[in-house]
Amino acid sequence: MIFRAVEDADLILKTRRGDVKAYNLLISRWEKRVFNYLLRIVGSREDAFDLSQDVFLKAYQNIRKLEDAGRFAPWLFRIAHNEAFSQFRKRRLEAESTDAEMVERERAAERVYPIEDALAVSSALNRLTADQKEAVVLKIYQGFKFEEMAEILEVPVSTIKSRLYTALDLLKVELAPMKTRGAL
Amino acid sequence: MSCGPFDVRDYALGELSVPERGQVESHAATCANCATELERLRVTQAMLLSVPDEEPPQRIGFISDKVFEPSAARRFWNGFWQSGARLGFASAAMLSTALVIFALHRPVEKATPAPMATIASHEAAHDYTLEIRQAVADAVQQTESRDAKRAASLLAAAEQKHELEHKELLLAVQDTVSVMQKRMNRMTLASNDLSHDLGAPR
Repeated sequence: MIFRAVEDADLILKTRRGDVKAYNLLISRWEKRVFNYLLRIVGSREDAFDLSQDVFLKAYQNIRKLEDAGRFAPWLFRIAHNEAFSQFRKRRLEAESTDAEMVERERAAERVYPIEDALAVSSALNRLTADQKEAVVLKIYQGFKFEEMAEILEVPVSTIKSRLYTALDLLKVELAPMKTRGAL
Repeated sequence: MSCGPFDVRDYALGELSVPERGQVESHAATCANCATELERLRVTQAMLLSVPDEEPPQRIGFISDKVFEPSAARRFWNGFWQSGARLGFASAAMLSTALVIFALHRPVEKATPAPMATIASHEAAHDYTLEIRQAVADAVQQTESRDAKRAASLLAAAEQKHELEHKELLLAVQDTVSVMQKRMNRMTLASNDLSHDLGAPR
C-alpha cells in the first residue's frame, strides 16, 4: 500500500512536469475503480466511460492544484463525484427522458451485473436515495474511510455515517430474502 | 444499534482499530443480539460484493501533443515555483548574492547613517577646514611678521650705514675745506709778502 502510494506520487510529479506517459500509467492504475464507481452511480456503461474520460481529463488539467500527492484518491473521486452529479443535474434540467430511454437505461443497468445477483443488488441499490447509494458505493465497493468519504463528498463524517447506516438498514431488508432463497 | 462498547456497524465497515475490534468480538461472543446484527451486516456486504467490478470497455489514455504541452522553459518555471525547497534555496542564494554585492560595492562616502551622525560628520568637516584656514592664516601672518622685522632691521642698518658714510663725507669735506682755506691763507700771505717786497724802497 505504501509502495503504491509512493509510485503514484512519483507519477503525479512526472505528470506535473508534462510527462504524458506517466499520466497514462497513472490512469491505468485508477481507471477501473473510477469507471466502476461511476457505473454504480449512473448505471450506464456508456455514460460511465464518457464520464471517466472527463474525470481524467479534468484531473490532468488540474493536477498542479493537488497540494498533497498522498491525497490523490479522494481528490480524484471528488472530481468523479462532481462529474456524475453534474450530469444528473443536466439530465434533470433537460427533463426529456422518454419512456424508451428509461427502459434502455434499466436494461443497461441490468446488463452490468450477473443476472440474478445483479438484479437483486441493482434493485436494492435503486431503492436508496442518490446520497445513500453513493455512500454505499464509496464504502463497500471502493473501501474509503469515513474521513476520505467526507472529503470526497464535502460533508461532515456524521452525515456520512447517517447516510451509510440508513442505507445498510434498508439493504439488509432488501437483500435478506434473496440470500434466503439462495440458501434454499 | 449496539449494546457493546462500539457500534457493530463500524466494526463491519472496518472503521475500528485492532484493539477495538477485539473488544467488539469479545462482546459479540456473549451477546446474541449483537452477533445476529453482525451476521446480517456480513451477509449484506457479501451480497453487495458478489457483484464484481466491471472492466472498462476500453482503455483511457492521452496522446502527447506538442501543441498543448508546456514548453521546457514553462515546465521548469512551473516546477520551480511548485518546489518549496528549490524556491527556498533560490531565495537564500539571491539574498547571499545581494549581501556580497552590497559588501563589495558599498558607497563609503555616500553612506547615509542616522541624521544626527550626518550632521556631526558635516560639523567635524567644517571645523577641520576652519582649523586649516586658521593655521594657514597664522603661518602667513608669522611669515609676514618675520619678513617685516627682517626688512626693518635691514633698513635700519642701511640707514645707519648711510648716516655714517654721510658723516664721514662731511668730515672729509670739512677737512678739504680746511686744507683749501689754509692754502688760500698761505697764498694770501705769500702775495702780501711779494707786493710788499716790490713796492718798498730798496
